[in-house]
Amino acid sequence: MEQIALTINDRQLSASSGMTILEVAKENSIDIPALCYRQELSPIGACRICVVEVERSETLVGSCHTPIAQGMVIHTHSKKVLQVRKTMVELLLASHCGNCFMCDKANICELRSIATDLEVGLPRFQVKKRYYPVEDASPFIVRDLTKCILCRRCVSACNEIKKEKVFGIAYRGFDSKVVVDFDQPIDKDVCRDCDVCISFCPTGALSKHGEIGEEKKGEPLIISG
Amino acid sequence: MPVRTVLLGQGTCCISAGAKQISAALREEIARLDLAGTVQVKHTGCRGFSQIDPVVIIEPEGLLYSEVKVDDAPEIARSLLPQGQPIERLFYRDPVTDRAIPHHRDITFYNKQQRTVLKNCGYIDPEEIDDYLAVGGYQALRKVLSEMTPEQVIEAVKRSGLRGLGGGGFPAGRKWEACRRVPGDEKYVVCNADEGDPGAFQDRSVLEGDPHSVVEGMIIAGYAVGATKGYVYVRAEYPLAVKRLGIAIAEARERGFLGENVLGNGFGFDIEIFQGAGAFVCGESTALTLSLEGARGMPKPLPRPRTTEVGLWGRPTLLNNVKTFANIRWIINKGAEWFASQGTEKSKGTAIFSLTGKITNCGLIEVPMGITLREIIFDIGGGVPGGRTFKAVQTGGPSGGVLPEGLLGTPIDFDSLTAAGSMMGSGGMVVVDEDTCMVDLARYFLDFTQKESCGQCSLCRLGSVQMLEILNAITEGNGRIEDIDLLIELGESVKIGSICGLGQSAPNPVLSTIRYFREEYESHILEKKCPARVCKGLISYIIVSDKCKACMICLRKCPVEAIKGGKKEVHVIDQDKCTRCGVCLSVCPERFGAVEIIPGREVKIHG
Repeated sequence: MEQIALTINDRQLSASSGMTILEVAKENSIDIPALCYRQELSPIGACRICVVEVERSETLVGSCHTPIAQGMVIHTHSKKVLQVRKTMVELLLASHCGNCFMCDKANICELRSIATDLEVGLPRFQVKKRYYPVEDASPFIVRDLTKCILCRRCVSACNEIKKEKVFGIAYRGFDSKVVVDFDQPIDKDVCRDCDVCISFCPTGALSKHGEIGEEKKGEPLIISG
Repeated sequence: MPVRTVLLGQGTCCISAGAKQISAALREEIARLDLAGTVQVKHTGCRGFSQIDPVVIIEPEGLLYSEVKVDDAPEIARSLLPQGQPIERLFYRDPVTDRAIPHHRDITFYNKQQRTVLKNCGYIDPEEIDDYLAVGGYQALRKVLSEMTPEQVIEAVKRSGLRGLGGGGFPAGRKWEACRRVPGDEKYVVCNADEGDPGAFQDRSVLEGDPHSVVEGMIIAGYAVGATKGYVYVRAEYPLAVKRLGIAIAEARERGFLGENVLGNGFGFDIEIFQGAGAFVCGESTALTLSLEGARGMPKPLPRPRTTEVGLWGRPTLLNNVKTFANIRWIINKGAEWFASQGTEKSKGTAIFSLTGKITNCGLIEVPMGITLREIIFDIGGGVPGGRTFKAVQTGGPSGGVLPEGLLGTPIDFDSLTAAGSMMGSGGMVVVDEDTCMVDLARYFLDFTQKESCGQCSLCRLGSVQMLEILNAITEGNGRIEDIDLLIELGESVKIGSICGLGQSAPNPVLSTIRYFREEYESHILEKKCPARVCKGLISYIIVSDKCKACMICLRKCPVEAIKGGKKEVHVIDQDKCTRCGVCLSVCPERFGAVEIIPGREVKIHG
């Protein structure tokens, strides 16, 4: 396998061709946050949290889907990158329901933990939420699209791991939404209890039926700073 | 043998102005006067001067009758009698000099243009292949197939310096070469006719007026890159273009220009029309490809394999715009050097713009690259009508930038427009005058792009919506001064962080209006005034007391009873009650003109 020399954050590194920037960074203990990327899935590139600065590129590039190239000079935590990343999380939070007290996944929520890492507090924007009724007709899965950040992991996981096509994307712009069939509520006929998508969902949008008073999953999130 | 030809534009724009009825009436009259032997009525595409549609042209004299009505048909028919005289009252009048101009070649709107792609639009019948053949149609294809190797064709396109006219400006020759080089026995040529920009209609006009030029360009492209199949991805909202293109393809097939053995040369090529479902983002190459395959049109993240390598159904695909294909026959016929001799050093040939907005001569124009914005707007366009002052011009469709008067010297080419903060884009050109609010304009365009976002990447989907919310707040009088910086920050983030060209350019109208018209934003926020008197929340209607004749009309018509006064008592608007609907202004008799709009929320009671 051809070796490629590149620079990440002023460190001279070498990696096999075909790897993505994110994979090389990971291998070298450089932590790039990502919301839609998961090792088990092919890159989606939708959340844009993993963007990095590549010298001589006008735009920032998504590190999860960009393969490395000879002589690439990459900055994963430059001022510009952090600024855009923070803006992005802020935007996601401004349209997220924010009902963390009640959320079963509050302590294991990836959006929450990235927001904490990036020190994003209250968004400076108008809070503009998308409210959808909770879909709990299926005995296997509870879907609350109000909490969905459209990372599309569920779509990919269902396609690639389960080899099913339960989910799709519909509508445009702010109204875009992960849908089942022709935008039907999820019920027992379309989905079995494989739990694959639930395990991939970074927020509380997909979860299992819980009992009242059940303890939240995960350790309480400690906010550093 | 007909002595005279009456040319009647039958584009969508002409038809909406009544060209169909005029045609029927004219034909009837000509038959009645027994002129059918000497006069031929020919349907053509649009000639581009939409302002004066419907237009009737009499050749060979070159007479142009503007804004013709059905009732004019008998008179026009009589003028075609041997003793007939031209009808002076139908001549076009120059808006500046008010001089009547009988011949179309003398009209400034036309004589400053350089029509290459649009040359045949308005002269030939788009539904008759013989018309196209009569003006040298398919000569380029014959030449290519009999004298040139595919490499020579590509070399010619490269030497011509033609750049993709869909907006990106990528060198066409290099794209063709890349597609040729990729190995593969199955390749595709796709023509992008998904013209989705509000206010742009050049692709439509070419397809409606000269569809064969696009078909010919595509066949040559197919030969050059080694493709056997072509698709035209056209908006379903263009039914007439789809119809005429369909006729053109069928005719070309009949005459052997399309099919398994093109002109007996052994080269096989055919074209199919695919109607898009109306998503703006499908003009982007990867989204268009997905849409053609039947999937949801969403751009693929960069860097991805080029469409020339992995395109439609995973095959190498050449994707070019309608106008790019329409240029090919000229490059082959007149030579790459001829083409390269026009335009500027880096942008060759011509550019087509849809000139609209607050402009005297609205319509479709084709100009050599390098011409300045000033020449387009003031010479061809005739400047701003109604004695108003020019304020800015927006180029490149909804994601283009807005350029102020100081930049009117900017030459039209891909690089200069980008450097000025705008772009060539699809070729929309919207002129605005002093009565246009720049904040409202930015809001309008952003509202369009945010709705058309495919929703894939968070920055474009959410960022543009938040920008719109901020602009809404500013136009409603709820803006904060820090919002300007927030808009810039958000805009820059959306620009550099989004996946495709839509997100990367959507903030342009906002960023460029802040750059050149910041003081307007500041007036909205700090003074709570809309200087252009557009934003409802930041204007007031007042009755000028010494003009008011106390006629009671506005008082009675006001839907919220905000106007006080009585007979012989000057009327006054109660600003607290007024909803700024504008009814009083529209009902106040013109000879009084007592109602005025002033910037800001006037609370002091006048009178």
